[in-house]
Amino acid sequence: MDSGTESASADAWDGEIETEIGHDEYDPYGTLTLIGIYFVIIALLWVFMYFVEFLGEGPTVM
Amino acid sequence: MEIHRYETIWFAASLLLIVGFIGTITYGAVGVGVEMVDDSGGTVDPDNLGSHERFGDTGVHKVNESHYEVNMIAVHPSFIPSEIEIPAGSTVTFYMTASDVTHGFKLVDSNLNTMIIPGQVSEITAEFDEPGEYGFVCHEYCGSLHHEMAGNLSVVPEDEWGGVDS
Repeated sequence: MDSGTESASADAWDGEIETEIGHDEYDPYGTLTLIGIYFVIIALLWVFMYFVEFLGEGPTVM
Repeated sequence: MEIHRYETIWFAASLLLIVGFIGTITYGAVGVGVEMVDDSGGTVDPDNLGSHERFGDTGVHKVNESHYEVNMIAVHPSFIPSEIEIPAGSTVTFYMTASDVTHGFKLVDSNLNTMIIPGQVSEITAEFDEPGEYGFVCHEYCGSLHHEMAGNLSVVPEDEWGGVDS
């Protein structure tokens, strides 16, 4: 059983490393773009909710 | 510890968003003057509202040319009064309390929204600049006829206004 466990962990990645990159070379710009779009949506929804739906809705407790 | 530059961007943007949230709330409170409903109305004996100076005399009362007070009691399944008429261009302060159970007050199409609690006076002030019709409802489940607990606030042009209740 011991040998089986060892081979399972060894098999998790048994390919050759094709390219090794440094910390700052990792560049997931697609993820950044997606998060950026989410961020803009959230910011615009906040502006809409607060200024249009809340402050724009008639009489307010003063 | 190395922090990736994308993470730095993300941290900065997140902080900016939080500062933006706080900034808009601050603008609403300081710039626009939006207030929270608090306990400034004080307390009252819910079993003896009839002899209370304010709640023994429900309805619309005039403070001055542009300021009116509405004294209202919520008691299942009604608001007393349930039909309110005020002139446009006035500031209205609502004083509300309950004599039986906890009720709610939401003036539809406005930001006027509070609980009405026995023993506590809910005091909210708002300005009604334009003529219009507003419905109001109880939004705290208060009993079998909760769904019928509603009323109407008419903001009428000043020259059509019928005057105060008493």
